[in-house]
Amino acid sequence: MLLEKNKKRLELNQTIINFLKRYDYSFLVSMLVIFTIGILNLYSATHAHTSVHMQGLYKSQLLWFGIANITAFIVSLFPPKSLFRFSYWIYAVNVFLLILVLVMGQKGMGAQRWLVIGGFRLQPSELMKISLALALARYYSKNSPEKELYLKDLIMPFLITIIPTVLIVLQPDLGTGLLLVLIFLVVSFFKRLRWKSIGIIAVIGIVSGLLMYNFGLKEYQRKRILTFIDPQADAKGSGYNAIQSQIAIGSGRFMGKGFKNSSQASLNYLPENHTDFVFSIFNEEHGLFGSIVLIALYIILMMRFIWLSGSVLRFYEAVLAIGVMSIFFWHTFINMCMVMGLMPIVGLPLPLMSYGGSSLLTFGICIGIATSLSNSRNLF
Amino acid sequence: MFGEDDLIRIHKARGVQVANIILLCFSVVFIRLWYLQIFKGELYHKFSLQNRLRKEIIRAPRGMIFDRTGELLVDNIPRFDAILTRQFLSDKEKTLNRLSDILSMDTAKIKKIIKKKSFQAKYRPIIIKKNISLKEVARIETENAFLPGVSVDTFISREYVDKEIGAHLLGYISEISQTQLPKYRKRDKIDYKLGDFIGQFGIEEQMDKSIRGKNGFEYVEVDALGRKKKFINTDDLFQGEKNVKPTPGDNLKLTIDRDMQLAGFNALKEKTGSVVAIDIASGQILTMVSTPAFDPSQFSRGLTTEYWNSLINNEENPLRDRNIQEHFSPGSTFKPFTAIAALEEGLIDPNTKIRCHGSFKFGRRVYRSWKKYGTEKVNVVDALMQSCNIFFYKVATELDIDILAKYANMFGFGERTGIKLPREVSGLIPTKQWKVKRNGEPWQQGETLSCSIGQSYVLVSTLQLANAFAAIASKGKLYKPYVVKEIVDNSGNVLKENKPELIREIQLKEKTWDAVRKGLYKVVNAPKGTGWWRRGSGNQMAGKSGTSQVIRARTAEQLYSKCADMEYKYRHHGVFVAFAPYDNPKIAVAALVEHGCGGSSAAAPVVEKVVSTYMKKYLPDEQKEFAKTEKQQFLKFIRKRNAARKKQEEARVESNDN
Repeated sequence: MLLEKNKKRLELNQTIINFLKRYDYSFLVSMLVIFTIGILNLYSATHAHTSVHMQGLYKSQLLWFGIANITAFIVSLFPPKSLFRFSYWIYAVNVFLLILVLVMGQKGMGAQRWLVIGGFRLQPSELMKISLALALARYYSKNSPEKELYLKDLIMPFLITIIPTVLIVLQPDLGTGLLLVLIFLVVSFFKRLRWKSIGIIAVIGIVSGLLMYNFGLKEYQRKRILTFIDPQADAKGSGYNAIQSQIAIGSGRFMGKGFKNSSQASLNYLPENHTDFVFSIFNEEHGLFGSIVLIALYIILMMRFIWLSGSVLRFYEAVLAIGVMSIFFWHTFINMCMVMGLMPIVGLPLPLMSYGGSSLLTFGICIGIATSLSNSRNLF
Repeated sequence: MFGEDDLIRIHKARGVQVANIILLCFSVVFIRLWYLQIFKGELYHKFSLQNRLRKEIIRAPRGMIFDRTGELLVDNIPRFDAILTRQFLSDKEKTLNRLSDILSMDTAKIKKIIKKKSFQAKYRPIIIKKNISLKEVARIETENAFLPGVSVDTFISREYVDKEIGAHLLGYISEISQTQLPKYRKRDKIDYKLGDFIGQFGIEEQMDKSIRGKNGFEYVEVDALGRKKKFINTDDLFQGEKNVKPTPGDNLKLTIDRDMQLAGFNALKEKTGSVVAIDIASGQILTMVSTPAFDPSQFSRGLTTEYWNSLINNEENPLRDRNIQEHFSPGSTFKPFTAIAALEEGLIDPNTKIRCHGSFKFGRRVYRSWKKYGTEKVNVVDALMQSCNIFFYKVATELDIDILAKYANMFGFGERTGIKLPREVSGLIPTKQWKVKRNGEPWQQGETLSCSIGQSYVLVSTLQLANAFAAIASKGKLYKPYVVKEIVDNSGNVLKENKPELIREIQLKEKTWDAVRKGLYKVVNAPKGTGWWRRGSGNQMAGKSGTSQVIRARTAEQLYSKCADMEYKYRHHGVFVAFAPYDNPKIAVAALVEHGCGGSSAAAPVVEKVVSTYMKKYLPDEQKEFAKTEKQQFLKFIRKRNAARKKQEEARVESNDN
């Protein structure tokens, strides 16, 4: 009797040890590494700020990181099978929440983005990025997955994408809406969208965009569009921010001015230097050398995702890995371009570097999903 | 059929392509970084170290304020501050010594100022001396090569031409506070920033939106010495961002008359009180002065701690407008309204005579007249003239408080006049219901007696009194008082003209109007009237004096003790309200002198000064005529009195002879 019980306990211990041995820590470790750079950079950007509230931001960022880590770990315990099973459900609930936001959401800074549920502030548009990746992965893996995609095959997945996109644009939050379409494009590309179709989409997109911008709009409307993209960005000051951001980046030269030595930040020349403009501060202090290291870390993380998509056991998991990777990629790429003056300022955070609880949480969930996919290869 | 393995295998190629695209994208990022940091790095580095680009806000000049005749009351004048940026100092000792010579300040004092601000963010300039002279400005500018880090900051200061006169009405501006910031941003939908000036009091606060204008901004380059330079070539840096010129605020033309304002202020100088004058036919405010006052210009220059402390430690509270933000017992100036209620309700008619002797017992309390020894029987006109308390006490024994309140409310008491100025008080006219609600006790008829002579719970403001008397003067037209006549833009176009607004027309019997108005006339123009000796000359005033008790007199001794012998803070407030001229009323004036003892002795001269200034300016012919008839009347009275005295004298001599 006693022996039986001990045996059971021993077995259980063995399972846990096995689990922890086989657990894929690589994603969690990359998250920790990039975050460590991020928190040091955040501290450097805000320590000299005139307001005490700003000086203490890094503490709440640390707290959020803890929460994001726990979330990532919990998500990593869900087997991919259950993610598959609930994909559409998660998607449907999230769309419903987006409708709810429009009906009874909390307003803030010119947009209606939050739901307040029992004291918690939920931003459904953040989660929608992940829900969309789940839904698209399930759709593509179940509907003649072996065939190349023709334009007509895009109708259904495009609908899946455009419904939440419209709901988010109505908030208005054009930046996140745009991001959903970009995720859709990457995932469709991976699902062997024919090159000919890609060409057609690209031509239609570019031509209609240029026509609209040059002939369909008046000067003030063009300016208004840039403002509309992100109402939080000060319309009058947006050009100013971009210039200051470029001065900050450029003045870093190769080795940078060193930790805590950003003059642009300490002078408060960059207003949003803790959210959208962290990359500028990082460049000012660590120069091109620092950026190469940071970008290399991002690339390693993304390559690991892509490698994962080729080594999982089920096709659904491969598509999901690419979808989640694209969330990371677009945030990183658009944020960098925006602070370097290559794109208008749309207010997307730099993953794991920018200040902000909800974006940290989103990226934590992404990391959790990736870990879960990776674990399923040799755990379950 | 494809297995999962096959599916993954055939998609591997696309995975590799995705990876390639990502690498391509990041190489674009890298090229851009290389361009900014290596190719243009030196340039930007220089920029960030030496040349600092700043978006400077150019404050819009606030609108100016004029009186009704177009005389300037509030102006904008450029002022200069000497400022210093610590980080730009190269040889601290040398620079500070030179600076101390220019500003004639101790080097130690300058060092102290700098040390005090050492917690400040880097590169933020420190103000060394405010409001420096043009000579000092010139020296700093010419010697700037030897004064690295020192410069002159120019700003527009709000100057109030008459300083303390009418300070409460005009108000002041000061920097928006941390607590106001979010509130006002929401309220006005203007993106206020710390350091912005906003109207905080009086017209400056009320009309802030129209007179504040719209700030502009410009991009400036600040060099290593803290000197500003305009950008020569802005195009490639600003990507089309343009400088924006400020839009100046609109100007205001007030209903105020500067001369009358001056007269009112001089009459109240060294006293604590207020005076307000209203144009009867429109409700326009002509005078509005409250003392002690403050110098609003001080606020716009950044208040010194000493000045602020002197204001808030003053027991008389100079930061309160006594015309609209404070209420008091009106005392006998309330009697006309008791008389109106009694006449209208038929409790008395204009001929009803009541004996006016020294005291009167109602219930267990003894009510006393302000004169110890009673006079003969009087009707309502003479009761007003002599301000006979007993007359009104006796009338009040039969008067319901709610009826009295009805008539008082009709004349605008107990509610805000609606003048567009901040923080007006409503005063108080008690009713039975009000008392039950407040104390949980029923109304006592004895309290009606006190209320009938304007004591007890009755509270009014100077503005309410003046407006109510204006309604008596015009036989019932109660206007909403206002101070802003026109809003005028900078090219002189009238944007908005405020028109008189009738609150209500009070319908009373003609004989009620006549009796009350006659009583008020006699107060000033009959030798037995309480205001006779303060009538001035050529004013043809009709008015009423009042004494507002600060503490309730418990004993006869207390009541009859000489006011001037009492401790200052226990002395009565003096109130006087009048309209003029009697035949064709134009203005109504109310004055309050706190702790001034008598209404006619302290407050009536203030009213008289304002009225005579008005007469002199606007009705000079009538004034001369009135003065002539008054002189004749006066001579007649003197002759009569002398005759009476002579007779008395003779009688005494005769009796002595006997």
